[in-house]
Amino acid sequence: MTLETEVQTLRLVPMFKDIDAARLKLLAFTSERVNFAPDQRFFSQGDAGDAAYVILDGVAHVLLETPNGQLKVAEFGRNDLVGEMAVLAETPRSATVTAQGEVIALRIDKHVFIELLSQFPQMAIAVMRELAKRLERTNARLARQ
Amino acid sequence: MERSLFRYIWRHSRRDQLVIFAVVLASLPFYYWSLDLPKRIVNEAIQGGAFKSGKTSTTFFEISFDLPGFLGGRHVELFHGLDVGQLGLLFGLSSLFLFFVLINGAFKYWINVAKGALGERMLRRLRFDLFAITLRFQPETLRTVKSSETATMIKDEVEPVGGFIGDALVAPMLLGSQALTAMAFILMQNLWLGIIAGSIVAVQFTVIPRMRRIQLRLGKQRQLLSRRLAGKVGEVVDGLEAVHVHDATAWEKADMGQRLYELFDLRFRIYKWKFLVKFLNNLLAQITPFFFYAVGGYFALKGTLDIGQLVAVIAAYRDLPPPLKELIDWDQQRLDVQIKYDQVVQQFSPDRLFPTEMFEPAEEAPHLTGPVKAEDLQITDAHGTPILEHLSFEQQLPVHLALVGDGTLAASAVARVLARRITDYRGRILYGGQDLSRIPESVIGRRLAYAGPDPVLFPGSLRDNLIYGLRRQPKSGGDADSAAERIRRSEALRTGNPLPTPGAEWVDFAAVGVSDEEELDQYLINILSMVGLHDTLFRFGLLGRVDPHRYPELAERLIEARHQLRDQMADAGVAHLVETFDIDRYNTQATIGENLLFGVPLGQPFKGRGLAANPVVRKVLDAGRLTPDLLRIGARIATTMSEIFRDLPPGHPLFEQFSFIAADELDEYDEIVRRWTVRGEAGLVGDDRSRLIALPLDYIEPRHRLGMLDDGLRERMLQARHAFHEALEDSIWKGMVEFYDDQAVCGAAPLRDNLLFGRAAYNVADAQPRVTAMMTTLIDELGLRLDVERVGLDYQIGPAGRLLSQPQRAAVYLGRCLAKQPDVLILDGVFSAFGDTQIKPMLEAIVERFRDRSIVAVLRREDQADPRHFEMLVRFEGTQPHIVRGGRAGANGQSEPDDQDGQERGGAEREPAIVGNRI
Repeated sequence: MTLETEVQTLRLVPMFKDIDAARLKLLAFTSERVNFAPDQRFFSQGDAGDAAYVILDGVAHVLLETPNGQLKVAEFGRNDLVGEMAVLAETPRSATVTAQGEVIALRIDKHVFIELLSQFPQMAIAVMRELAKRLERTNARLARQ
Repeated sequence: MERSLFRYIWRHSRRDQLVIFAVVLASLPFYYWSLDLPKRIVNEAIQGGAFKSGKTSTTFFEISFDLPGFLGGRHVELFHGLDVGQLGLLFGLSSLFLFFVLINGAFKYWINVAKGALGERMLRRLRFDLFAITLRFQPETLRTVKSSETATMIKDEVEPVGGFIGDALVAPMLLGSQALTAMAFILMQNLWLGIIAGSIVAVQFTVIPRMRRIQLRLGKQRQLLSRRLAGKVGEVVDGLEAVHVHDATAWEKADMGQRLYELFDLRFRIYKWKFLVKFLNNLLAQITPFFFYAVGGYFALKGTLDIGQLVAVIAAYRDLPPPLKELIDWDQQRLDVQIKYDQVVQQFSPDRLFPTEMFEPAEEAPHLTGPVKAEDLQITDAHGTPILEHLSFEQQLPVHLALVGDGTLAASAVARVLARRITDYRGRILYGGQDLSRIPESVIGRRLAYAGPDPVLFPGSLRDNLIYGLRRQPKSGGDADSAAERIRRSEALRTGNPLPTPGAEWVDFAAVGVSDEEELDQYLINILSMVGLHDTLFRFGLLGRVDPHRYPELAERLIEARHQLRDQMADAGVAHLVETFDIDRYNTQATIGENLLFGVPLGQPFKGRGLAANPVVRKVLDAGRLTPDLLRIGARIATTMSEIFRDLPPGHPLFEQFSFIAADELDEYDEIVRRWTVRGEAGLVGDDRSRLIALPLDYIEPRHRLGMLDDGLRERMLQARHAFHEALEDSIWKGMVEFYDDQAVCGAAPLRDNLLFGRAAYNVADAQPRVTAMMTTLIDELGLRLDVERVGLDYQIGPAGRLLSQPQRAAVYLGRCLAKQPDVLILDGVFSAFGDTQIKPMLEAIVERFRDRSIVAVLRREDQADPRHFEMLVRFEGTQPHIVRGGRAGANGQSEPDDQDGQERGGAEREPAIVGNRI
């Protein structure tokens, strides 16, 4: 897998789908492709958010640390973006994420990501649009309940 | 400093000037003889004057003199001379002439060297004096003095002054006496010829300098006029609209025409003067021989002057103009330099200098004890706007005093006054009854520390910056017995420079209760922990290089630690985190260049682009048929960089961090790649090839992921590595690369690399932090932490600490203040670089450590001034101070009454502990 295939993958991430190929290539190039061993943590709940991940291959669990131990609340798979909220909002990680089996992911460093957003408004708008959509979905869900 | 340059010169170089003058005087007889000899050669040897009455031989080189009458009047013959014929006399006299020429040359050489040395010494003194004055600038002066201007003054502008100093007195003496000697000689030969030469010289000497001065004045006028002309053109261009709107072109043209005429007129006058001076000079120089030939010839024919004398006079006259010309030049230079000197003196004579007594060196500095007292303190800014009105208090030291501002300058200004960073205030500040403005710097500098909002750091190591406040008086001053040291010292004495060198033992170990460098380092490490730099220091240590002389234990145990780390990683099943260096394997986590070198370059020929251009490397690459591959990869990298970084502005941090190619080179690389694509290798010209090859040398497949390497290429790279090692041995760069060896420490590589002896994997998540964590544990297990941290203290922080982050800079700056253990620590805005979560523990640690010492802290909010820590609190509202607690009010005090204060602020401050702190 090379930079080119990573760009293809990034294009499938909703937050990045409207961004130019050259920009995505820059995003990919400035990111690191890392392998997680089974059960290795991406990050732990409460950590400072230093990076976001795009899963290129494999599955990751989202675990909530509760007084009664860990509680699995969701699962991430291929092409999912993980941990971007802590990076954007500068809040601590809201959950723990671990690799189920072997996972290959693209690690997007927080500083680099913020640099890119501040340099390219088009990227920032794409991210905003995605966040707004999420908010809308949450509102809709709350309205239904 | 003296207002007059000549007084300055005379005061500091009197002795040297007189010595040189004495030598000049001593040289004159020889000069005279060298003028006199041609006459004898012509008269006695060539014309045979010595052989007139049929003599065939004469005595030559007889050294004899007559004693004066009171000593008996005897004739003393030291050397009775040689009997020589006419030819012998000719050659003897000619040789003597040559001998005098040599002697004169030797004198000239000595005088020039002495003059040069004198000038250089005076330049050194002048520069040092100016620097010493700079150190006396009061804080307020710094507002009006620009650092760059001061620097150029010391560096550039005094240089011609120094050059002139060597000539200042000697030149007129030397040239004048030479001219006088020549004149005297001519006079002695013939009075009339002498008078002629003298009057022409007099004309030359009075008229020409005057004419030149006029020429100079005109030149200055021309400069002024041209500048105004440029200003006028600018004005018209800027106001072109108005010119057209009001149809003023004709008027502007007339104005311009007039200005150009004035300029022309002036320039023409300058030309006229210039060539008039030239004409006069030439005329005077050439008219004299006319008189000599005519008048001298007339006397010769009449027999009152012999041919030898005439020849000698003409020869002596030839020697006359050069010294005169130089004298005139000297006069002009003098005017010029005096102006420059005046400017420099003006710049360095700001009214507000600290008196020199304040900087008297002192062995011991008394502690600041007793009460600190403010008497009706009022502070205004440079424009007279009040910053603070009427603050009075008295408080026994040690005190922990909090100054809480409301965003105005008052709190900070009070802190600065207390630290003597502001000296322009009304009222008085007394420490232990002594007026702050009179306390010498040796006391303030040692007993008081001020940490302001802008960290001041110097280039050098972390350690250098921390111990800056501990360098007071050098204890030892180098090897006084060595010849070089003796010369250095005598030069320092002659130029008013200080005797100690920075290399001496400056650090006052005893002042902070340590006895040697190791204990001092331990002490500094503790300080850095207090300001939150402990982990950073350790990290710096891992990045540092281990000097086996300074840290022998660490160096010795590195190999052991390296192997233990590898074993531990294998045991923990995480060996894949690091790819170890192996001479027989391609290291996929290292760059292609590193793989080729398999070592650390010790010099530029093997670093960066130098590596790609290195003939040895290129030969090896060519032999291994690697060049086409590397060119291909290079072109691919260049294309990719161009594609993804083109839209980033130059200088963007991502550029610096990630791009293989600097912003300004992107276009050039595009061009190279285009040529390579179209014409292949034939299209590559100049250093294209090495520029293209340089790119893949930094390439790491798992990190950059362009998919450029395959097993075949890796195998060939490996062969090239071995070939390179062999080729290097036979080349002139032998030993310029320190190869990796599992059993040896690589001195050129950082500590971290030495421990790892490999590269952390880029493609394993969190490999770097995990490796670092294991390394840290191991270092602790082996008891090497202190050594690593000491290496960390060697970390170079760059100019003004540029290699540190903003909070790190502030922390080091604060650490420097803590390190000298002042009696009074003044914290003014140094915390602004830190977040609230960092400030609290830091402040608590400092307060704890300074329990028996004083702290004055400017705080942002009142709740930061915990009453348990700060027994005195002054709150500022605008320019008005309110003493909330502590500090018995003085006459004009604004202290709030206790009860009211208590009621306002709630119960906490009525606790007896706080009231008890008042005196």
